[in-house]
Amino acid sequence: MPTSLQNLTVNFDERFDLKNIDWRLESGQHWLISGPNGAGKSALAAVLTGAGKVASGEISGLPQHVGWVSFEAQAELIAAELKKDDADIMDVISEGTPVREILAQESRDLVLIDELVAKFELGYLLDRAFRKLSTGETRKVMLIRALSNQPDLLVLDEPFEGLDVKTHAMLHDYLSALSPNVQIVMVLNRLDECPDFVTDVAYVEQGKLLHQVKRTDQAALAELHQLLHLKTTDLEIPPTDPTAENKLPPLDPAQPLVRLTGAAIKYDDTVIFEGLDWTIEPGEHWQLSGPNGSGKTGLLSLITGDHPQCYVNDIFVFGFQRGSGESIWQIKQYIGYVSTALQWEHRVSVSVRNVIISGFYDSIGLYHKPSETEKAIAVQWLDLLGMTARADEPFNKLSYGDQRLLLIARAMVKHPPLLILDEPCLGLDEMNRQLVLALIEKICASSGTAVLYVNHHPHDHIKGIEHFLSL
Amino acid sequence: MSQNYFNTLSLREQLAELKKCRFMHMSEFSDGVAALKGKKMVVIGCGAQGLNQGLNLRDSGLDVSYTLRAAAIEEKRQSWKNATENGFTVGTYEELIPTADVVLNLTPDKQHTHVVNTVMPLMKQGACLSYSHGFNIVEEGMQVRDDLTVIMVAPKCPGSEVRAEYVRGFGVPTLIAVHEDNDPKGEGLALAKAYAVGTGGHKAGVLMSSFIAEVKSDLMGEQTILCGMLQTGSLLCFDKMIAEGVDAGYASKLIQYGWETVTEALKYGGVTNMMDRLSNPAKIRAFDLAEEMKAIMRPLYHKHQDDIMTGHFSKTMMADWANDDKNLLGWRADTAETAFEKTPAGDMEISEQEYFDNGILMVAMVKAGVELAFETMTDAGIIADSAYYESLHETPLIANTIARKKLYEMNATISDTAEYGCYLYNHACVPLLGDFMTGIKSDVIGRGLDVEDMGVDNSRLIEVNAAIRSHPVEAIGAELRGYMSDMKKIV
Repeated sequence: MPTSLQNLTVNFDERFDLKNIDWRLESGQHWLISGPNGAGKSALAAVLTGAGKVASGEISGLPQHVGWVSFEAQAELIAAELKKDDADIMDVISEGTPVREILAQESRDLVLIDELVAKFELGYLLDRAFRKLSTGETRKVMLIRALSNQPDLLVLDEPFEGLDVKTHAMLHDYLSALSPNVQIVMVLNRLDECPDFVTDVAYVEQGKLLHQVKRTDQAALAELHQLLHLKTTDLEIPPTDPTAENKLPPLDPAQPLVRLTGAAIKYDDTVIFEGLDWTIEPGEHWQLSGPNGSGKTGLLSLITGDHPQCYVNDIFVFGFQRGSGESIWQIKQYIGYVSTALQWEHRVSVSVRNVIISGFYDSIGLYHKPSETEKAIAVQWLDLLGMTARADEPFNKLSYGDQRLLLIARAMVKHPPLLILDEPCLGLDEMNRQLVLALIEKICASSGTAVLYVNHHPHDHIKGIEHFLSL
Repeated sequence: MSQNYFNTLSLREQLAELKKCRFMHMSEFSDGVAALKGKKMVVIGCGAQGLNQGLNLRDSGLDVSYTLRAAAIEEKRQSWKNATENGFTVGTYEELIPTADVVLNLTPDKQHTHVVNTVMPLMKQGACLSYSHGFNIVEEGMQVRDDLTVIMVAPKCPGSEVRAEYVRGFGVPTLIAVHEDNDPKGEGLALAKAYAVGTGGHKAGVLMSSFIAEVKSDLMGEQTILCGMLQTGSLLCFDKMIAEGVDAGYASKLIQYGWETVTEALKYGGVTNMMDRLSNPAKIRAFDLAEEMKAIMRPLYHKHQDDIMTGHFSKTMMADWANDDKNLLGWRADTAETAFEKTPAGDMEISEQEYFDNGILMVAMVKAGVELAFETMTDAGIIADSAYYESLHETPLIANTIARKKLYEMNATISDTAEYGCYLYNHACVPLLGDFMTGIKSDVIGRGLDVEDMGVDNSRLIEVNAAIRSHPVEAIGAELRGYMSDMKKIV
């Protein structure tokens, strides 16, 4: 009978809930639970051992014998041992429970214990007090305890953590041999340590089970890998090129980045919008929303200079009054821009690396010989995106979501004063949407760039945006 | 009618003008648009070239407005809409021409005489008149006022691409020239260079040429290999495939997109690379077919070049202009009625390589046409650089318009001059290749070679490869593509 969690919400303590989990563990499946730190991976694993307080929803089909190895279980056992110590009213020094007894407590197969003790080479400490063991030794004891219980379901939270290389290999082989008969669910921080017997991968974030990916779906697995990388990497947004060639002429900080006065777009007799006043000050994050056809993209292109009517409007951008003899490239140098249309424009054969570098030149495709500094910065961006190995692949061979991520990197590579994201999640599936949002949040948090975020749902907003304009 | 300017020159002068063509170095454009900064540029005509060049020039920080005939403004014609919707000032000749420092004549060839005669008296003393094509000066012998500077800036692409490439941050290859009889202040070159920068052309490569070299090579290229050969090839190959029982949708698709695919290889690595995309047995077949066609078509290429040089071509065409384009419009209507044009491309997948494997005859036609046009032009005194650009270099551009719109629209897109020449070529070439085509089977067009064994004779292959690689168009092509690669797309 499969284990099934239906719309399950579980409270752990005041700080943490698992929310609305729908999860089905079919027999024959072995799961790996992944996610960033603090996402609720261990909590989800612990639910299978009966931990937490069910607030709503249902959990059914849990097997009778569940083996659980985790730092929490380990800590609980040690705490219990210490408590025994405290509770001892007699004035003698307690040695605590010896390992031999700890192992026997839950075992259903004493012969198996002996086998496992031999395998883990723990014979020498069977008579020592459990609470006096080192962390690694304690971990091995916990493993033997769980395995010898002949569980139907084995829940292993970071089982390889704290094990030496030899023991790691041994345990890995042992679990592989066990896997045809025992269902295994393991929490692993690193997807690349995923044992071959794992058939399914779950991704948890902020207490929610966000993705369930079949091991055989290589593309989805790669995206999951990348998402995890972006969520967990310590890498920051790479610096911009400090050399004179790519240094932006400084802007007067007292002047707004953009000021539109009575702006309008009209075709023949059709008025898209008119009488629009809008000022964007340096560092202000804005969200622009409005229904389809309300002129969001048109408004943006008045700012970027891509709309020819920018010359008949009163527009002040980056120190230039439009139509006073400035060139469009003097405007574009201050803007990073991402849109679906821009993605379509990238039909030329350009490598992943050169797409990033092209951001220094505001060109679609690269028409300059890149400098060494530019190449080095591109590498740093690829590291951040988790795409280092793909630097020389053609851009148009990448998945749609990866292309979008690269275009955001391209837009940010010069650290522009204004980053315009025109529906950056349009056309992306949930996983890629989160990838893009993860990158945008990283940008908002760690640069002086003003972000102008456009979408047609006013409620769908990004952290840190405090100004809103609706068309 | 004015006298053909070319024919007024001595043979020595003619040869000297034909020889002018030099690939300019990026450093020659370091002044940017400075020579035009603050000057008033007034564009006559707001079609594809006019509008798109104007958009680029304005985005480069230059002062651009449009002048149209009073009727076009009053009736709010398409050209008026194009200009006003894009936020340009529009005025009549009388309103704007007297204020202009530079007048950009971007009307079709056939309107040039009328337009220039109308605007010249209105132009201010010492202003500049710019053309995108030298036909009016060279073939019609237009005499321009002595105080005016006359230059040419000719982007070698359709107007829509001139704009699209600029927006990408690049440009299209551009030819510039100064009409030396009209350069009173010696500022023609500076103005032409600044104009090329303003349209983005300097990023993709600029050729310094002469009005004469531009006209005589441009006419030759467009009517033979560029438009003529592709039109003739499309019609012959399609009809042959249908006769051989190839699915009509497949045949239509193979041709419509095949030219673009095989000439893409040409763009990257010349005839050599295009031929190298074929298997060894197919390459040898294509080579032999091309040799055969070259022998048959050579007199036709010679005739086209001779008629262009003597002015016979332009005289004939101008007579048709005077006759309300009777021939041109009739031939255009005929094109719309051809079987190829009327058969829509099928929805089957054709892989990139399959266009080569099943289009051996098309590859052979491109090779024969490019080489013949190049040989004929250089024999006539046109320098190899010009001949390269007007043959091999531009073939993929026309192939691209066929891929998008097939023949009828290709002809409507190119200039009337190119279109007229294209029909002349086609009418002569289709019957000329008649006997040759009776020997053609679907193994070289439509189905691919029917061979079990891909083996070839070593010495034959070496001979064929050497012949392909040693053609003079390959040497100049490698050199020019080398210059370009510094400024071209890094792929």
